[in-house]
Amino acid sequence: MANLIFASVNQLSSLKLSLTIILGLFSLSSYGQDIEGDTLKSKELEAVVITATRNERTMGALPMPVSLIAKDQIKSMGSLRLNDVLTEQTGLVVVPQINAQGNGIQIQGFNPDYTLILIDGEPLIGRYTGSLELSRIAVGNIKQIEIVKGPSSSLYGSDALAGVINIITDRPQGTRVNAAIRYGTNNTLDVNGDIGFTKKKLGVYVFGNRYHTDGYDLSPQNFGKTVSPFTNYTLNSKITYKFSPLTDISLAGRFFNEDQVFNFEVESNGSRIRTSGNGNTRDWNFNPVLTHRFSDKFKAIARFYSTHYQTETYLNLETDGSRYYEDDFKQSFTRPELNTEYFFNDRNILSLGGGYISEMVQTSRYGDEEKRYQGTSYGFFQHEWLPVEKLSVIVGGRYDYNTIYGGQFSPKLSSRFELNKKVTFKVSGGVGFKAPDFRQLYFNFNNSAAGGYSVLGTEVAVDRLAELEAAGQIQTYLFDPAQLGNLQAERSMSINAGANVEILPSLKMDLNVFHNSINNLIETQAVAITTSGQSIYSYRNILRAYTQGLESNFSYPVGRFLNLSVGYQLLYAKDKDVVEAVKAGDVYWRDPNTLVTKRLKPSEYFGLYTRSRNMGNFKVFYSHKPSGWEGSVRVIYRGKYGIGNIRGNIQGEVIPPSDTNSNSILDVYDDFVKGYALVNISVAKTVKNAVRFQMGIDNLFDYTEPVLIPNLPGRLYYGSVSYSFSKKNVKP
Amino acid sequence: MNSVKSILSIVLIAGFVAAFTGCSENEDPLPVVATTFTNLAADPGTGFNPSNGQPTGLTRQFTFFSFKTGDIVAHADSATNKWDLGFNGTTIIVNSATSGLGTSQAQIVSGIFDELAIAPTDGYKSDNDVAPIAGAPNANLAIPTGSGQGWYTYDGVNMVNKPTAGKIIVVKTSEGRYAKMEILSYYKDAPANPTFNNTARYYTFRYVYQPNETTSFN
Repeated sequence: MANLIFASVNQLSSLKLSLTIILGLFSLSSYGQDIEGDTLKSKELEAVVITATRNERTMGALPMPVSLIAKDQIKSMGSLRLNDVLTEQTGLVVVPQINAQGNGIQIQGFNPDYTLILIDGEPLIGRYTGSLELSRIAVGNIKQIEIVKGPSSSLYGSDALAGVINIITDRPQGTRVNAAIRYGTNNTLDVNGDIGFTKKKLGVYVFGNRYHTDGYDLSPQNFGKTVSPFTNYTLNSKITYKFSPLTDISLAGRFFNEDQVFNFEVESNGSRIRTSGNGNTRDWNFNPVLTHRFSDKFKAIARFYSTHYQTETYLNLETDGSRYYEDDFKQSFTRPELNTEYFFNDRNILSLGGGYISEMVQTSRYGDEEKRYQGTSYGFFQHEWLPVEKLSVIVGGRYDYNTIYGGQFSPKLSSRFELNKKVTFKVSGGVGFKAPDFRQLYFNFNNSAAGGYSVLGTEVAVDRLAELEAAGQIQTYLFDPAQLGNLQAERSMSINAGANVEILPSLKMDLNVFHNSINNLIETQAVAITTSGQSIYSYRNILRAYTQGLESNFSYPVGRFLNLSVGYQLLYAKDKDVVEAVKAGDVYWRDPNTLVTKRLKPSEYFGLYTRSRNMGNFKVFYSHKPSGWEGSVRVIYRGKYGIGNIRGNIQGEVIPPSDTNSNSILDVYDDFVKGYALVNISVAKTVKNAVRFQMGIDNLFDYTEPVLIPNLPGRLYYGSVSYSFSKKNVKP
Repeated sequence: MNSVKSILSIVLIAGFVAAFTGCSENEDPLPVVATTFTNLAADPGTGFNPSNGQPTGLTRQFTFFSFKTGDIVAHADSATNKWDLGFNGTTIIVNSATSGLGTSQAQIVSGIFDELAIAPTDGYKSDNDVAPIAGAPNANLAIPTGSGQGWYTYDGVNMVNKPTAGKIIVVKTSEGRYAKMEILSYYKDAPANPTFNNTARYYTFRYVYQPNETTSFN
C-alpha cells in the first residue's frame, strides 16, 4: 500500500538489521479454541501447527519457539489486514519502510527482509525494495497464523533468519457461507465473503474481498496524503478432491489487484513541484498439492507452486502533465518440490525432501527491461526422535545450491525436555541465510527524484563505473571498484532457549532467551562521487551484528469467560564492529552545543536504528458464549528507538535522523523517537449464532507522529456486521 | 621574480626564527594554549544557484592559514612557506609537494583533542604521498577528502557536512614545529545543529601550536 516515498539507499542499509523478540502466545491460542463450542471445554483440543516441522504436529510438543494466532482472536480484534494482526503480537514490530515500499515486520530485531512469509507453506514474493507489504494479505480467509521464531533455513532455505510466518488459509470443510461488511474512519470499506461445500470426494472453497480506504493525512498543511487512497481486490479459491482414502489433491489459487492514486509534492532543484499519478500492484499464484500414502508408514507430498508479482508506478507533473517519474518491477517464482515422511515407529520420524526454484526479475531499475534469472536446487532432511517419553530431539538440515551465490548448508538442532507436568524446557540452535537479492546484484538505478544518487548492483558496478569514468563523469572515487567482489549470502547463527511454566493452576508463562549472531551483512558502500556531486553506491558484505534478548508471555484465564495476558520483549541489537570500536575507545561524540568532543563509553552505545529496547502488551479478552457478547481491550507499547539517516521525506518533510553528535551511530545522547502506547478496544455481539455485530476503536487516544511514524494513523472507529452459516457434514 | 621573493622570505623567516628561539633560551617555555579560530572563509562564494543548489561566484582559491601567526596568510604569499594549511570548500591542503613550496606535513589521528599531549613522531604525509586513485584528483592529499574519509561526514538528510567527532589533524610545519587542530564546524558562526540554510564553507576550529622544538602540546 505504498507510502510511496522515493527510495534512498542509506536507509535500506541502515535498517538492514532489526532485531526483535517474539513471545509466543500459546495461551491465547488455546483460549481461542475454547470459543469454538461449549463441548470443547471438556476435551480441550491441542493446537496443531505445521510450520515448525513441515508436518502437522501439536504445538506443545515442539522444541522451538512457536506461536499461533487463531481465527477467533483475529475476529475479536476486528482486524482486516495482516499487519493489523501482527502489530499486536509480542516481539513483532511493524516498521515503516520509509524509502522502501510497504511496512514490514521486525522479528528478534531483524529487518523485515529477514523473515520469510508463507501462505500455506509457499513463499509470498514481491520484495520490491526488500520487505513485503503486509497489507496485501486480507485476513478474512485465514484459519490461523503460525509464527516460528529463530532460523528455519534448515527447512525453508533463504530468508528464514529471524523466523517464518505461515498463513494457513481455510480449507473446504462442511458447508459454509460467510459474508461481512465493515465501515470505518477514512471512508474505509471492507466487504468480504466466502462460500464452501464438500460433496463426497470433492471440496470447494472460494473467498473474495474488496478493500477500499481514502488513506489518511497526518500533515494536512502539506500537499498530498501520508497514505494515498487505494482499493484492492483479493480472490482465493481452493478445491480438494479425494481420489481414494490414500490419495488426495488440492488446487489453490490467489489473485490480488490494488490501485492507488497518488498526489505528491516533490523537491526538484530546490523548488517544490506537485505531481500526481497511479500505482498498480498485482499478484497471483497457483498451487496444486498431491498427497499419497503408500502405507501407514510412508507418505509423499508433491507440490508445485508458481507465483507472479508486479507493480508499476508513475507520477506526472501537475503543471504540464509530463512524466516526472516511473518505476516498474515484475517478479516470478516457480517451484516443484517433493516431500516425504517416513514413520519408522512411534519414536522415529524421518522427512526427506527436495526441489528446484526458478526465479525471474524484470525492472526498469536495472537500466534495461531484460529478464534476470536465477535457479536454486535444494534438498533437506529432518529426523524427529523421542529417545524417552519426556525428551524429544529434532535434527535437520538443508543444502541449497544457487547459480549465483553458490552452496549453503543450514543445519538445525532442537530439543525439548519435560521436567514435569508444569515445567518444560526447550532449546534450539541453527543457521539461517539470506541470499543476495536481485537488487544487490543488478541494480542500475539513478534516482533523480530524491536529490540525486545512483545505485549499482555488484554484477554491473565495475562496467558501469568504467563507462562513467570514460565519459569523464567521475570526480572522486571513495572506494576502489576492484574490491567490489562477489556478494556472499548473509548468515546468522542462533540459539533460542526457553521454558513453558505453569506457575499457578491456569497461570502460564512462556520464556524464551535468544541470541543471533549475523555475519556478512550486505551494506551499501559509497563508491564514487560524480562531477555533478551525486553519490554512487554499490553493495558489500561488510557488517557484522548481533541481536539478543528475551521474550516472555503470561496468560491468565479469570473464570470461564475472561482471559488476561501480558507480553514483554527485551532487545539488544548492535553492530559488532561498533561495539569493538567503542570498547577500544575509538568512538567519540561531539556535544552539538558546546562543540566539545568526548569519548563514548560502552554503556552509552544504544545499538542499531529502529530497534526498541523494550516493548510489551497487555490484553484482556472477554467472551460470554451463552449471551453472545465478546469484547477486548489491548494495550500495545513500543519503547523509544532511533532513526537512521533516511534520505527520503514524508509529505515533503525530511525525517530528522537521531544521530546529532557527529559519530554516525546511535548513542544515548542522540535524539530518539519517543516510546508510545496504543490502546485498541472492541465489542461484539452474536445473535442466534449467525449474525455478528462488532464495533471498535483502534488507537483510542489518537496518538500520532506525522513524520517519524507515518504508518500510524490516528484514531479509527469502525463498525461491522457479518453473517455466517455452517453445517458440518455427517460422516458417511 | 617569484622565486627570488620566496627565497628572500625563507631567509627572513629563518632569521626571525633564530632570533625568537635565541630569546627564549633563558626562560622557561610558556605553556601553550588552545585557541579557537572562527569563521575562516574557505571560498564561500557570493550566493547560490537556485537550480542546482551549488554556490556561485567561487574564486577557486585556497585560504591560507599559519599556526605560527594564528592568522590568515595573504593569497599573494601562496608560493611561500608562510602558510601551513590551505582551505577551499571541504578540501584542505598542506604546504608541500604538489600543493606548495613548503615542507608542511599532516596526518589525521583519532582521539580527544585535549588528551593528545604529544604529537606523533612519524606518520606525516605531504600532499603527494598517497598513491593516487584513477580519476580522483584530490585522493593523494595528506588530509583525505570525501565524506567519512577524512575530517567530515555528510549528513544526507540535512544536507550538511559535519566534522567527524574524534578526528584530530596534526601538522608538522615547514619549520619542524607541531600543531594539532580539531575542526568544529563548517558553517558560519558554528550553529549547534546546522541545516541546508546555514552558510557553508566557514571553518571554526580549535588548535594548539607548539612554537618550541618539541612534540609536547603541554
